[in-house]
Order: sequence, then structure tokens, then C-alpha cells
Amino acid sequence: MPAYVGVVILALLGFAFCAGSLVGAWLLRPRRPVGAKLDPYESGVPPIGDAKGRHVVRFYLVAMLFVVFDVELVFLYPWAVHYAEQGVFSDRLFLFGEMLVFVAILLVAYAYAFKKGVFEWNRGD
Amino acid sequence: MSIPLNAYLLVGAILFSLGTLGVLMRRSVLIVFISIELMLQGVNLTFAAYGAFLEDMAGSMFVVISLTVAAAEAAVGLAILVALGRRVTEFYVDRLDTLRW
Amino acid sequence: MTDQIVAFTYLSIVASVAGLATILVRSPVHSALSLVVVVFHVAGMFVLLGNGFLAAVQVIVYAGAIVVLFLFTMMLLDLRRHETERTVHRRQIWLAIPIAVLLFAEVAWIAISKPEISENLKGAFPPQTIDELGGSAQALATVMFTDYLLPFEVASVLLLAAAIGAMVLARNPDEESLASPPDMIEDAAGTDGSSDQPEGELSETPATHG
Repeated sequence: MPAYVGVVILALLGFAFCAGSLVGAWLLRPRRPVGAKLDPYESGVPPIGDAKGRHVVRFYLVAMLFVVFDVELVFLYPWAVHYAEQGVFSDRLFLFGEMLVFVAILLVAYAYAFKKGVFEWNRGD
Repeated sequence: MSIPLNAYLLVGAILFSLGTLGVLMRRSVLIVFISIELMLQGVNLTFAAYGAFLEDMAGSMFVVISLTVAAAEAAVGLAILVALGRRVTEFYVDRLDTLRW
Repeated sequence: MTDQIVAFTYLSIVASVAGLATILVRSPVHSALSLVVVVFHVAGMFVLLGNGFLAAVQVIVYAGAIVVLFLFTMMLLDLRRHETERTVHRRQIWLAIPIAVLLFAEVAWIAISKPEISENLKGAFPPQTIDELGGSAQALATVMFTDYLLPFEVASVLLLAAAIGAMVLARNPDEESLASPPDMIEDAAGTDGSSDQPEGELSETPATHG
């Protein structure tokens, strides 16, 4: 368990930094709210509607691809630490082949997304 | 391993039952989905606890596979919701009954 | 050993309370954020179980990816009505609570009165072996690429099916080149008021391209 003390300290530091910044800013800043200062982006483009309307589906597709390749990472990590420990060449070749099949299957999803233009953000301009 | 296995199983049971309650009682489709994820958390905890106490790596492997299934389920389920979002503006399980009966 | 008991008590109480919050709060966004709290505390329990790899995976995949996907979906959908309408199924709740309580009693009874784990049931990975292998990731890898090779490869097929299925479902079939920037955010007036007016696909003004 002592190995995780660092993680706990890091988490506490993260919370302390967030809370400290917010409380510090709240204590130090002057409070004179005028219309333009309360905009989401001061000196920016005036917002239209609110942020709860519908957005374009492309965001969802990118997030979904992120999830899929994030799960791939879960399998890649144990593979990588295991691969590094193998001494025999044939064992390494076998492991490499296993992972190659895995990645090749998932590459089909990537190729499909690429072909369907999921990654093209400015088509139509 | 000073905590008994029962304690982990009990927490898993609590999370699973809360997830079931959420699925059965909430109207919002999204919260029903999130409740399913909550049920999976309980299941994962049970798998991991049994894996650790049985000193077997099968528990971890099951959690990893269940995680994969959870990700696939979330991706497809939410894609259905996105497709549905083009036609309706309310996402309640008791209103989306066109295919019922 | 008391530090473990303190840690477990904290983790279990916060996980249960956050689980309760997940199913009781009104807004789906708050519900998803409560789920993140549950995920982090279950990850803490994985650490207590000596499985650091699963804890990391739990945080990376659940908190980092699946909940993000939920939040992205909430951004895509128009959920303004969810802030005012009632949140529970009025007819179903009278059956839902007894069923959930019954289920909990059942599972909790099994959890408390579980049979003893006898020595001959135990597998080949006691904590010392996991330490010798270098950690839970290494220990998992030794079984993942031997005994569970087929599930490992099938997982990639599952992910492929999910990715392609999600792309087919979520993309608008009428807009081959996806929506153009002008309809990134539909204006507030267009979406409320009218009941089941079909949007996007069947509307008369498809997305215009440059």
C-alpha cells in the first residue's frame, strides 16, 4: 500500500490547487459586475442561445472513436510489459503476431471512419 | 487482505441494487444508461474481489472484458440516442413507446 | 492494518452515497459526474485488493472515456426539458422500490453468508507471485496471452462492431458530408415548443455546402 501514498498526495494537491485558486481569486478580485464582464468570453463574440442546444454529431463520433481506442490501450499495456520480459525469439514473435491481429482488426474501424470522412472537419467550406 | 471478502461483496451488492433501482424508476433514458454503468461497477467490484481472494487472475481478466463490453454498449447505445435525437426532443422511457405493442 | 479498514470504510461509504446520488439527482450531467465519484472510489477498492492495474484501467476507461462519451451525448441532445419535468416513473416506482430492496436483500444475504474459500479452490496467483512477476499488469498478461487468448482477440472484434455500428447509427444518412458549421448550434427557438417535429433528416432545408 505505501506505493499509493504518492497517488493520494497528488490527488490532495490537485484538490488543494483547484480550491486554492478559486478561493484566492474570489478573495483578491474586485467585484464590480457590468454587463460585458459577465459574458462567457469577455471581449469575445456575443453568445447565441445557450450551451444546452444541440451540437453537431461529429463530436460524438470523435468521442466514440476515442473510447474504442482507449479500450485498446487497456489491452496494449499488459501486452507491452509482458513483451519486454520475453527472452525467447519465438515467444516474442508469437506475442507480436497476437497483437498484430488485434490491432489489424481495430484498424478496420479506423479505416472505415477515415473513409466516411469522420476526421474531415472542414468539408463543405 | 485484512478486509473480509463479504465487505467487498456487500458494496458490490449495494452498487448493483442502486443501479437496478435507477433503471426501474427513472424516466430519463440517459440516467437509465448511467444506472446500467452503475450496475456494471458493482459487478466489476465483485469480480475483482473474488479474483483477489481466490488468488486467480481470471477475476481481472473478466473485469477487463466486462469493461470492453461496457464501452461497446455505451458507444452503440448512445449512438442510438443520437440518432433518436434527430426525431424527438424528449428522452423519456415512457414516451418513447412507438414500437410497443 | 487499521489503515486499510479506515480506507475501506471511507471508500465504501462514499461509493454508496455517490451511487445513491447518481440515481436520484435531476440533471443527467450531475448523474454522470456522480458516477465519476463512484468510479474513483471503486478504483480505490481495487487498490485495496492489490490490483493496481485494474484501478488505473478503471479510471482511464470509465472516468476518462465512457463518462466523457455520456457527457458528449448530453451536449448533442436537447435536454432542456429534463430540467423541469418530473424525473421518476410514477406508475413504476411502487414496484421498482420493492424489487430493488428484494434484490438487495437477496444479493446481500448471499454476500454475507458466502461459503468459505477453501485452499484447494485457490488459483496460481497469490500476492507473492504477483509481486515476483512485477505487478498486477504483468500477472494479468501471463494469463491474457495464454489461457484467455481467444477472448482477447474476440474483444477486438467486439470493439470493431461497436465502432462501426455506432458510426452507422449516429451519422445522418442524408448528409453524406456531415453537417457544415452553420448548423453546429441550432437556435433555441427551433427546438422547443413543437412536439415531435422531425429534425435534420426530414427537414426541408438540408445543410448547405460551400
